[in-house]
Amino acid sequence: MIHTSHLVKQFGSFKAVDEINLEIGRGEIFGFLGANGAGKTTTIRMLSGLLKPSSGEIRIDDLDIVRHSEQIKHKLGYMSQKFSLYPDLKAVENLQFYAGIYRVPFEPALKRLEPLLEQFGLSSILNTLTQDLPMGYKQRLSLVAALMHDPPLVFLDEPTSGVDPQARREFWQVINDLANLGKTIIVSTHFMDEAEYCHRVIIMQDGREVALGNPAELKTKHGSANMQELFLKVLGVSDAKL
Amino acid sequence: MRSAGVIASFIKKEFRQITRSREMLIVLFAMPAVQLLVMGFAVTNEVKNLRLGILDYDRSASSRDLVNSFDSGDRFQLVQVSESDNAAELISSWKTQLVLVIPPDFGADYQTGRKSSLQLVLDGIDGNSAAVANSYAAGMIADFQQRQSNPGLHRAPLPGRNSGIQLISQMSFNPDLKSSLNTIPGIIAILVTVTSMMLSAISLVKEKELGTLEQLMVTPVKKYQLMAGKLIPYLIITLAQLQVAIVLAGLIFGLQLAGSYLTLILFSVIYLFTSLGLGILISSRVASQQQAMFFSWFIMVVFILLSGFFVPIRNMPKTIQWISFINPLSHYMTVLREIVIKGSSLAQLSRELWILSGNGLLIFGFSVLSFRKRV
Repeated sequence: MIHTSHLVKQFGSFKAVDEINLEIGRGEIFGFLGANGAGKTTTIRMLSGLLKPSSGEIRIDDLDIVRHSEQIKHKLGYMSQKFSLYPDLKAVENLQFYAGIYRVPFEPALKRLEPLLEQFGLSSILNTLTQDLPMGYKQRLSLVAALMHDPPLVFLDEPTSGVDPQARREFWQVINDLANLGKTIIVSTHFMDEAEYCHRVIIMQDGREVALGNPAELKTKHGSANMQELFLKVLGVSDAKL
Repeated sequence: MRSAGVIASFIKKEFRQITRSREMLIVLFAMPAVQLLVMGFAVTNEVKNLRLGILDYDRSASSRDLVNSFDSGDRFQLVQVSESDNAAELISSWKTQLVLVIPPDFGADYQTGRKSSLQLVLDGIDGNSAAVANSYAAGMIADFQQRQSNPGLHRAPLPGRNSGIQLISQMSFNPDLKSSLNTIPGIIAILVTVTSMMLSAISLVKEKELGTLEQLMVTPVKKYQLMAGKLIPYLIITLAQLQVAIVLAGLIFGLQLAGSYLTLILFSVIYLFTSLGLGILISSRVASQQQAMFFSWFIMVVFILLSGFFVPIRNMPKTIQWISFINPLSHYMTVLREIVIKGSSLAQLSRELWILSGNGLLIFGFSVLSFRKRV
């Protein structure tokens, strides 16, 4: 689904992303881990077409991201770190708007997403102004909005920051369901417990890959009991330092 | 066709956002009413009830006749002064705004055809009003002279006197020199500018601040769709506001549209390309709504000061007149006045049509290009 080779993003003399090579398959939940400034968000922004790579190649569904950006944009959904729906529109109007700009008929799309709305507890608040919703609901609504056009590829940039543990659990349940439907999910997080939900993760530091693989296998390989330990280990930070 | 659907989604969204915001509705529809009322009545060059003191050192039949002629009508209001008063003091103490001094022997000199003179002392601080007052007084004196030489009044015309030319001025289109006729179209032009530029200046940067612009950038929305989706609603809203202002001007000031409504709308739409274009140019370059506001106010103040609204452009220095020439608001204001008051036709306004179209094309074109690069 996603292929990158020698991906580099340079801001002036600062290399935010340095030689990232990825091969992400359909239906995979792929996690980006790393400290703030490690290059997760920059990579995701390049993969979703928001930033142009300084060098290297990105192919999505075998299409070059620069040359076929229009086609690719129809295939991807994006939920940003910052909540980004219109606060002065009702929940349903936000969904209507995104359906409109993706040129998908609204009613069928809403029907298709009904189970998800139900699961998220959003069905009853569709006519509420978005600004009046609690944070957790806004986050879920953002995800639904990103799914209006049924994209095969979904980017979630720190989707669960600022959400309580219960809601985070539910959110991951939904992500899992989406992957089971064959959607590819790219997610960045700094919650190590969430990394366990991913099929594969990449741990980044200073724009470079320091570890890549299945969480369980990585733990065995590095002899770590949990992701937290693994994370610190591969980053070269000993527990004693903390 | 498919693009039309995307643009329609934007338009719907913009209208929903605007109608949901009470502040916005107040700005759009209550503010014009207030501005029209306040500025329409306040911004006036009409000079009425001028406090006039007459120092009559002559006290002849002629001088009394002259005093009486100033006493009639509502332009001058005679203030009682005594002969011992000093003209300059009367003005500096604000007792009078102007003083007419009739020298001794004025009547005798006048009747015998000798050279006679009158002195008019004015408060020159407000030059415009002083000039208007001066011309009123000159008119009165000319009238007086006319009457004095009228044979019907049993005063034989003196030889060598009054063989001169009598000037009869006729004020076309605005016979009463009602100031509101001139200011109201100006206010409407300013309103149209303020609304359209503010709306479009905020539009993009607001989405930038919200983070929704980034969300839009991952969607297949094209830049021209985004731009059209923003500007079409603003165009419609500004035209609606223009309509409200015209109706209010009719109700409050009895302003009748002398010319064609269609011509007016045509010019407004052309002009809006300039003002909306400027707004979107600002919006794509600034980082916050605050900056957008600051820049649009700056541009608007320059536009308004150089538009001929407060000071006639003819009175400005030559270089400033050239700057005024490229000020689109000044042309739009001219056009509104011509259409509303004179009823000028499109053909008569062809020069303005070219200038405004050129302006619109240039500014809008530039902002589209800059928008594509920046966003």
